[in-house]
Amino acid sequence: MKILLAEDDFATRKFMDKQLSRYGECDVMVDGEEAVDAFMMALEDEEPYDLACLDIMMPVMDGYQVLKAIRDIEAQKGIPKSKRIKVIMTTALNDERNVKMAFELGCEAYAGKPIDVEKFEKVLKKLKLI
Amino acid sequence: MGEEFNTDSMLSMFLYESGQLLEKLEGIILEKQDAECFDDADINEIFRIMHTIKGSSGVMMYENITKVAHKLEDVFYYLRESHPEDVPHMELVEKVLAVSDFVTGEIDKIKDGGTPDGDESQLLKDLDEFLKCIKGEIKKQGIRLPKANKQEEPSQFYITPVAGEDSHFYRISIHYRNDTQMSNIRAYSATYALKEVAEDLLYTPEDILSNEASADTILAEGFHMLLQTKSLKEEVLGLIESSEAEGIDLNEITAEEYGKGLAELGRESEPIVIMLDENEQSGKEEKPAPVPGDYVVKAKETGKGKTLAKNQPKQQSIISVNVEKMDSLMDLIGELVIAEAVVLQNPDLKVPGLELTNFQKASAQLTKITTELQEVIMSMRMMPLTNVFQKMRRIVFDVSRKLGKDIEFEVVGENTEVDKNIIEHITDPLMHLVRNSVDHGIEENAEQRTQVGKSAKGKITLEAKNEGGKVYICVRDDGKGLNPEKLYEKALQKGIIENKPISEFQEKEIFKFITLPGFSTKEEVTEYSGRGVGMDVVVKNIQSIGGRLDIDSIQGQGSEMTLVIPLTLAIINGIVVQVGKTPFVLETASIQEFVRVGEDALIQEPSGEEYIVLRGECYPFIRLNEKYNLETSQKSIEDSIVVVLEHEGSQVCILIDRLLQEQEIVVKPIPSYIKKVKGLSGCTQLGDGSIALILDIAGLMLDEERRT
Repeated sequence: MKILLAEDDFATRKFMDKQLSRYGECDVMVDGEEAVDAFMMALEDEEPYDLACLDIMMPVMDGYQVLKAIRDIEAQKGIPKSKRIKVIMTTALNDERNVKMAFELGCEAYAGKPIDVEKFEKVLKKLKLI
Repeated sequence: MGEEFNTDSMLSMFLYESGQLLEKLEGIILEKQDAECFDDADINEIFRIMHTIKGSSGVMMYENITKVAHKLEDVFYYLRESHPEDVPHMELVEKVLAVSDFVTGEIDKIKDGGTPDGDESQLLKDLDEFLKCIKGEIKKQGIRLPKANKQEEPSQFYITPVAGEDSHFYRISIHYRNDTQMSNIRAYSATYALKEVAEDLLYTPEDILSNEASADTILAEGFHMLLQTKSLKEEVLGLIESSEAEGIDLNEITAEEYGKGLAELGRESEPIVIMLDENEQSGKEEKPAPVPGDYVVKAKETGKGKTLAKNQPKQQSIISVNVEKMDSLMDLIGELVIAEAVVLQNPDLKVPGLELTNFQKASAQLTKITTELQEVIMSMRMMPLTNVFQKMRRIVFDVSRKLGKDIEFEVVGENTEVDKNIIEHITDPLMHLVRNSVDHGIEENAEQRTQVGKSAKGKITLEAKNEGGKVYICVRDDGKGLNPEKLYEKALQKGIIENKPISEFQEKEIFKFITLPGFSTKEEVTEYSGRGVGMDVVVKNIQSIGGRLDIDSIQGQGSEMTLVIPLTLAIINGIVVQVGKTPFVLETASIQEFVRVGEDALIQEPSGEEYIVLRGECYPFIRLNEKYNLETSQKSIEDSIVVVLEHEGSQVCILIDRLLQEQEIVVKPIPSYIKKVKGLSGCTQLGDGSIALILDIAGLMLDEERRT
């Protein structure tokens, strides 16, 4: 599986990279804009990502903007719901309204930091990624 | 809601919502337990509640809750779609309660920081069987089965962060010696050392690496940090210890304080600010909902914390009021009332010839404001008894079913409001009283009732009312009532009372026996009551909050237990009196009259007891000066004042020297290092700064009785 990881904090990036690499190939981005670019590129090359893990507080574009951009692009390209990239927000912002907004914008899961690795894997299974 | 502060707001939201829903569910069930069946509105409501719980627990990934909720939702789905008749109602009620108990148990586990690991399989099996039987019933009645309730897998998940609960929050201030070189670099190495253990770290000044001038700021003002970490104080201290540091202050702070951020950092005293009623918060949130783009991080400079491009105000949207804070606010207001008295009655003002008109005006204004302040804080702490009464409903239901008694339960005045502290104190005693009523009060079986011409169904009434600064909570049953002779014999047998004939006791006194330790008239102890521990504990609990228990009963017709509790605990109206040089406070409500009497009104018994005769009535008489070994300034009783005090219908007279004033009294406990003195319930500070002792009339009477 192809994974897109957007995370600007070095320590978390390293940790997530290590975790996610167990499940597949993991591309690491440091800001929101890069993440959208990478997503577009992969779509054009017809090798789309299966999973995106987005931090929320990031430079240039925040995680919500990235999520919205991704869903907009998919809608525009007419990608069916079942083929959409699965998005997991990974953030310490777990105010209930932040979570609600992320769900409304169409993410699949919202993981509060520090991340519960066990549950994270469970969700991946539920999303049929592994 | 859980008392402890939970850092994960999604989780606490889930817990809170589910708690509310479960309460509502139980309410519906218990209200309709005696009905023939649920009506459409109830079925819809229960279906909806289960659906919501299923959905939210699915998102939170609590699978056993999801499964159970789904199964029950299924049951109600069939009830809703096909309206089958002859549904075994009682069985259904039991099933719903079982589910509700299961979910409540699991939620409690989550609240305590555990994982919901309860085994749901048995419950599921029961529900399945029940469902099968309903389906069979539906088919038998020739109604077509609706198409199966589609199970929608939740498509969105919330992963709770790993135990945020044991995070500690610290405020750290490091002061470096004045000659320290490059203190900014040292400060940075401290932050670097902390980064390893930090979940979050804020510090000021922020630009320690890029701005050399910050070194001077650090020397002058010290270096301040806010740290969120799992590590303990000692570990943190070990990490930042440095030879150049002159002093390191490390204080644990609360999550709320942490949330206020660096702006508050370094301010020593924190003002207590806005408090919203818990129920109001959700509606009144004014912070706009977040939108995409709110969380773009400014280009990061090395060594700097993240700052958001759009300056997001620090999160403080939900103001859940910690009870502790409310208590401390209450204490502060108490102190304020005292301080006010100290100012307004200051001895300096008593210099003759002072022009005080403006001062009087200003002080009147001050008094008005403090009084209002008191009222506001009181009203904030007031909560309706609804929840407590709801619990009682459940107890009556459980116990009466277990004992096979048919009992109607009526609740009156459940919206009566009392102080939250009091609610906590009365729940257990009330539970005990209600259980007792079901178990002992109501007759064992319906025949015993019909024989004496009562309806077969027993009735228990729980009533609350608010009267004259007191709350009356009354548990009434129409059962067999108390039997004074039986009680007397039992007390005699247990050696609780001395060998006095029954005629020497009033009925009320005999009823009081059941509140004595080690007393139980029920021959057989049941699961619910009858162990003879309990009633004395009930009375003790009630007395600890200044209340009392009244027992009234007519044999054969029923009994009535009434809890009388003061509306609030902290501030009372009192009259300050003086004996010798010592001021005492008497609660205004308990004073009946002040009189002056002559020697001829006194009766002295050979044993030394004294009585006083007023208008032909005889009252026990206590000379406070003798009781507490004080020197009195008045030689004869004609110059002194006799106060008639009333408590629980009986009177006692005390002798004092002088009346000083009436004022609002802030009750403070007597410090524990003073040996417990009989007849005193607390102390307070007077306007001139002196300490006055508050007389406890009940204690005084009891002590007097013991002596005789």
